[in-house]
Amino acid sequence: MDFLVNLIQGFSVALSPWNLVFAAVGAIIGTAIGVLPGLGPPATVALLLPVTYKMDPASAIIMLAGIFYGAMYGGSTTSILLNIPGEAASVVTCLDGYKMARNGRAGPALGISAIGSFIAGTVSVFGMSLVAPSLASFALKFGPPEYFSLVLLGLMMAVYLSEESIIKGLAMAAFGLLLGTVGIDPVHGATRFAFGISRLLDGFDFVVVAMGLFGISEVLINLEAPEIRDIFKTSLKGLLPTRDDWRRCWASVVRGSFLGFFIGVLPGGGAIISSFISYAVEKRVSKHPEQFGKGAIEGVAGPESANNAASTSSFIPLLTLGIPGNATIAMIFVALMIHGIRPGPLLLQEYPNLFWGVIASMYIGNIMLLALNLPLIGMWVRLLKVPYHYLAVVVVIICVIGAYSVKSAVFDVGTMVAFGVMGYLMRKGGFPPAPLILAMILGPILERSLQQSLISSGGDPSIFIQKPISAALLCVAAFLILTPIIKRLWRRKNVNESA
Amino acid sequence: MKNRSDAVGSLFLFLLGLGAIIGAIRLKVGSPTEPQPGFFPFLGGLSLVIFSTVIFIKGWVEQGQEKVAFGEIGRPALLLVVMIALVAVLDSVGYVIGTFIASVLILRILNAKSWRTLLLTSFCLSIGTYILFDKLLGIDLPVGFLVRLGL
Repeated sequence: MDFLVNLIQGFSVALSPWNLVFAAVGAIIGTAIGVLPGLGPPATVALLLPVTYKMDPASAIIMLAGIFYGAMYGGSTTSILLNIPGEAASVVTCLDGYKMARNGRAGPALGISAIGSFIAGTVSVFGMSLVAPSLASFALKFGPPEYFSLVLLGLMMAVYLSEESIIKGLAMAAFGLLLGTVGIDPVHGATRFAFGISRLLDGFDFVVVAMGLFGISEVLINLEAPEIRDIFKTSLKGLLPTRDDWRRCWASVVRGSFLGFFIGVLPGGGAIISSFISYAVEKRVSKHPEQFGKGAIEGVAGPESANNAASTSSFIPLLTLGIPGNATIAMIFVALMIHGIRPGPLLLQEYPNLFWGVIASMYIGNIMLLALNLPLIGMWVRLLKVPYHYLAVVVVIICVIGAYSVKSAVFDVGTMVAFGVMGYLMRKGGFPPAPLILAMILGPILERSLQQSLISSGGDPSIFIQKPISAALLCVAAFLILTPIIKRLWRRKNVNESA
Repeated sequence: MKNRSDAVGSLFLFLLGLGAIIGAIRLKVGSPTEPQPGFFPFLGGLSLVIFSTVIFIKGWVEQGQEKVAFGEIGRPALLLVVMIALVAVLDSVGYVIGTFIASVLILRILNAKSWRTLLLTSFCLSIGTYILFDKLLGIDLPVGFLVRLGL
């Protein structure tokens, strides 16, 4: 009963005229950046942070959340029509979506991805309304050792799921932890690694670093390649899937929704991995696995549902545990901090309007996105014809404004450019930027909980394995990092034996 | 060395980690019972040194790695030069003029064909974003020498 009362309270926040406008703005921007290859959700949320400075916190998060799940809807359009994923979570949609378009079935492919996304998003929001309060009250029992292990697990998940090698992910996480220590130490008041630069006394600002790593570096990467966008010309009539399509893929939508929800809840889990797992599951359970890769509608319905469900449920670790699971959620974490709100188990008690308002806005946002995606597909396709150089210059200008707005200092703009170059080189060398930004944000929490735990145990590190929850979390973290190494050694041993 | 990008990357990270360890020792590391300001950076630096060493060794041992492919490097490099120049002059020339000139240069570098479109786009972008962010959203953007004209 409490659940319904809270949700009604949330709807009273989300249905206010301004919040409806912000949800719509977020959904539209999200769909647009999902459609446009070369600008991902983390960069967009980072770029729009300055816009939220003077907004009400609930409105700000409603808009930024809309961008995140909107991008999942929009990402499928470029995958299906261009064979270019608008964002990483839609990579797998290219496999069958583009083939469907080639077979003259672009309409049903776009239609099922929008409808599947809507169903999955709604299922996920409903699950979130049920799970989040219980998880938040459970997390209230956490002490410093449990928090340390939880944050460490979140970091290890981000490393594990980073596309590149695990060891490079670990190195980036360590680099991020060090970047997080720059400035005045919050415990002792000592200045660390500021090198006499007064602007560094407060440390590197997350917004500045994120804009450089995700915004500027993305522009630099995209400028390397020649600008070729061959939009596949096909009929976009008949967007609604046929009865036969529905018969084939309704179960894929249901499976994708639940799978995406559960993967999204895991700290570090998210839309990308859920879409790949969903594709693998659909292929395995299909009676016609040979049709996968040749235009099977289940190969579009499952992953598109899964990535949308996961993007919604990945808010759960943020809102209940204070752990951002991926780079976009990390930017929303920063947005909350900018407004003086500390994400975590107490958020539900201290800011119920924000918590339930954001959840309710997701129900509304999903309906808005369905309305936006199906009738406006023609408009989104036309957006793809805008030359990239216009988008690039807009991104650069907004990055300059965003970095400058943090402290009204050109120093921050220079720092952003430096991190842009660093991000560019990191991507070229296969060093993933997401663990760096997550570690930078989580570093201070990790440091505080580590010090508190060690002080309370008299310097005995076994406190982390004496507490059952902490021990379990550490075991999972160790398992994640060690599994690929053991697998690799095992494979090498087998190769040597067979040789 | 079989993988040059891993070698350069890991060397940079190794030096960074080493620097962090030295800095942490200067700050005082303390002990687990009494951690000092250098305690956490010491652990971070040590981790970075270990991981970067592993990357270096892996790059050395593993065969068949491809070189990092840089595409058309000229355009990103020129964009970077424009951005550095913008950072250098932003305070003195102000946001509107600075971003107008930067937009013109960036669009030119990126092969925008028509000068008319290029100038119009740059003008609309610099003025439009100034009105949106400075006037409507209250973000103070630098005015530069125009402040002397009372703008």
